[in-house]
Amino acid sequence: MALSTHTTPSGFLLPSIHSAPPFFTEQPNPNTQAHLTEQWIRLILTYARHRRLFILRVEDAEVPGGDWDEILRNERINRRVPPSYISSLMAGMIAKNVAVYEPPKQTRAVMLYWRLPEEWADVLHSWATATGQLNTILTFYEISDPPIPSPLSDIPIPLLRRAITILMRSNRAQIIGVADGEGVRFFAATK
Amino acid sequence: MHRGVGLAAFDREQVSQRFAELSSELSKTQVDHLQSQLTQFQTALSHFAQTHRDSIRSDPTFRHAFQQMCASIGVDPLAGPRKGGWWAEMLGLGDWQYELGVQIVDVCVSTRERNGGVIEIGELVHMVSRLRNVESGVITEEDVIRSIRTLQPLGAGYEVLDVGGGKKMVRSVVKELDADQAVVLAEAQLVGGRIVEEILENRRGWTRDRARAALENMLLRDGLCWLDSQDEHYGKAYWVPSAMHWDE
Repeated sequence: MALSTHTTPSGFLLPSIHSAPPFFTEQPNPNTQAHLTEQWIRLILTYARHRRLFILRVEDAEVPGGDWDEILRNERINRRVPPSYISSLMAGMIAKNVAVYEPPKQTRAVMLYWRLPEEWADVLHSWATATGQLNTILTFYEISDPPIPSPLSDIPIPLLRRAITILMRSNRAQIIGVADGEGVRFFAATK
Repeated sequence: MHRGVGLAAFDREQVSQRFAELSSELSKTQVDHLQSQLTQFQTALSHFAQTHRDSIRSDPTFRHAFQQMCASIGVDPLAGPRKGGWWAEMLGLGDWQYELGVQIVDVCVSTRERNGGVIEIGELVHMVSRLRNVESGVITEEDVIRSIRTLQPLGAGYEVLDVGGGKKMVRSVVKELDADQAVVLAEAQLVGGRIVEEILENRRGWTRDRARAALENMLLRDGLCWLDSQDEHYGKAYWVPSAMHWDE
């Protein structure tokens, strides 16, 4: 049996390791597991970027039919990632700063950083600049759910808030209270 | 009565001097002859090197024939009076071999996490070929084995293991593989990597304990195999990554 790459219905190219049955078992040898954790993290983040998925839950490994089936399951070899394994992969991602528990103080769901908050800050500022929205007040929802799809469509509010906080440090944004919650005003980059 | 040295004695002295002259002349001729033969050989060799240099470096069949020729006349293509040997110097073969050695190390080190430091030689050849961006068949198993031999003075523990059934594996970690592990590697090769205790019991007549000990050591101690706890038939199976066929 040759282990080969496979293109999913959503157009994602799975690496050949995804067709190796033991890839779906947490390994007792720590060195082996460290290597496989790296492979899994890379796979999860590239898939998340491909599908623009921001949240991964233990539930996604428990019940089929979710957004993550294409990578958490491999029907061709009849394997799936057990929920306990996805929990430790989440912990591994948090240790590497590519995810955070969201909401905090629980361990059943993580918010994925397939772009780091610093990178999102740049994306956000460039988008505001390019669409001529500097110096005007925007609500968070106008950013995460814009009328015209943008690179920020569907960004979770906690992630958006982190990106704005980063821009505030360099005086490129300001959070303002508005009638139905919070808004933000972006400024051109200053020296 | 005292007689002085006679004519005969004078002659004797002259004769022996003549002989000495003749002998040194003869050996000088021989030395000259040898020297000219050597020069001729060197010219022929450098001519050969110039003519066939490219073929030796690029054509595996030719390289094989050349190396066989060297072996049959007792010349080591990599050894010689100067650094790297003069065959090596003229052919650039030494560089080629060392370069291949570096790439072998590269592949072994970069796949070590995956396979625990043991790689099937066919896969190694394939990956080195890909690294050099050459078609398969340009680099042969024999080239790889020879390069690994040149790595020996480094003491990094690179070794070619014969696991039986004509299968060879290259070990890149300083770790002795015991006889049982070699058997497991060989059996895993035959079935595409998946191995369970039953296979070793049925095919090798091992006891369950012996099979389990060998597999658990490879899994936990050496990192030479991976665990699959969702196996349809046995619930638990061991997979040897160096015996799995990776299409990448």
